[in-house]
Amino acid sequence: MRDLYQRLAVSPEANEQEISQAVASCQHSALRQDAEAVFAVAERRETYDTLHDTVSDIGRLRARLGLSHGAHWQGDVANDFSLPPDHAISRHDELVDRVSHAVSLYNRWRRWRGPWLLIAVFAAGAGIGIALGLALCLGLLPM
Amino acid sequence: MSIARFSPFELLLLKSRSQVDTATLLLLAWVLVHRQHVSEGQRRRRLAQVTAQFRHGHELGPVMSIARSQDLQAIQLAAEVVRKECGTERSLSVIHQAITVATDDGELSLANHYILRFLADLLSIAPMTLNTLFKELTGTPLAIPEDPSRDAYWQAHDPDYHARKAREAEAAEQYHQQANARAEQQQQQKERRHQQKQQKQQEKQQRQEQARQAREQEQQRQRDQTRQQEQERQQQQQQREQAERERRRSRDHSSQQRSRQQDSRRQQRASPPPPDRTTRALSVLGLTPGATRVEVRHAYRRMAQLHHPDRFYSESEQQVALASARFQRIKNAYDYLMQTY
Repeated sequence: MRDLYQRLAVSPEANEQEISQAVASCQHSALRQDAEAVFAVAERRETYDTLHDTVSDIGRLRARLGLSHGAHWQGDVANDFSLPPDHAISRHDELVDRVSHAVSLYNRWRRWRGPWLLIAVFAAGAGIGIALGLALCLGLLPM
Repeated sequence: MSIARFSPFELLLLKSRSQVDTATLLLLAWVLVHRQHVSEGQRRRRLAQVTAQFRHGHELGPVMSIARSQDLQAIQLAAEVVRKECGTERSLSVIHQAITVATDDGELSLANHYILRFLADLLSIAPMTLNTLFKELTGTPLAIPEDPSRDAYWQAHDPDYHARKAREAEAAEQYHQQANARAEQQQQQKERRHQQKQQKQQEKQQRQEQARQAREQEQQRQRDQTRQQEQERQQQQQQREQAERERRRSRDHSSQQRSRQQDSRRQQRASPPPPDRTTRALSVLGLTPGATRVEVRHAYRRMAQLHHPDRFYSESEQQVALASARFQRIKNAYDYLMQTY
């Protein structure tokens, strides 16, 4: 399994015209023949594209999990679908971080007796509103 | 500080009684999603069968939907969890389950080839172990995945395509041929019409010509009659003249004979021989046109000495024969030239 898009230097979303141009301008005759066989028929390209998506997903997974040099990842597939390790941190670590963050927030909320704080804030707001209304009614404020 | 919302799989994992089981469930569901020719209900039942001993404690539906949406982050998280939590035995059982799920009775799909290998790498299972496990479970060795990026794959897996193409080409050709045949028929009809027209024209012309010829024949007949009359007159005159000449000849017969012989000699000398043959004869003797009689004789003697067959007596018979032929040619040329000069 090779990445024909990468080898032909076209994007996987390229339309048929761009791909046929790229295939026609390809210098490697064997690669051109293979690309013609795959891209000439729409069904074949669909089949190839689904597998291409899966394999590139696996390539990304391997890059993130540090498995780009595994014993089962060799040959054409490894050459074409291996990605450089990106700086995304481990999803599990991220999950643990988020969970601990959420837990700390919850704890703080509980420590400050959240419900009472909420009622106090609401009461203060209501009081300020009533005071402003009275002042308007009595004409104390210059209009 | 704001934190992003938890994704469905994260929530599932947090709610799960056993995170490893949930993560394994997602990976198995991922493998199942890439199995071909299996309905959604079959997949779910199969997953439930395989994971009957799991202690996750939640529904399978959300896991299947996550797997179907190909959520890469969820799969990554599951892989991380599985890698972190699985010992050697557990990882072997996971790969065992993955293989059974991937190849119940059918073939391993191309995507699952790569997924199984990814799982083996993830669980740090050596290729040898994977191969033996696969062979034990399915009875066939784990083959190298076929390559749909090559022409050979499509020639093996889509053989109908070429036949279909050939059929289409044939149909197109037949259509083309029919169109051609129609065009030819039309042309032939045109030609026939044209020929008929021409024939009519020719008939007309023939009639006209026949009429003309008839007229001419009549005219000729008239002319012939007049000519015949004239000829008869001339013959009568000639007969009279001949009678007169015979009378004169009988008078001076002896004198005329002498004069006739002299005339013939003069004519022989005066009439020039054909120039072509003379030049050819001269060239045989190695002379240019305009050579004198003396020169011709000298040349003949020299050539005869050179090409006499007796000179080649000591050599082969063939040489002698060739020399005699040459000598004969030279002699003929000389004789001819002696006559004409």
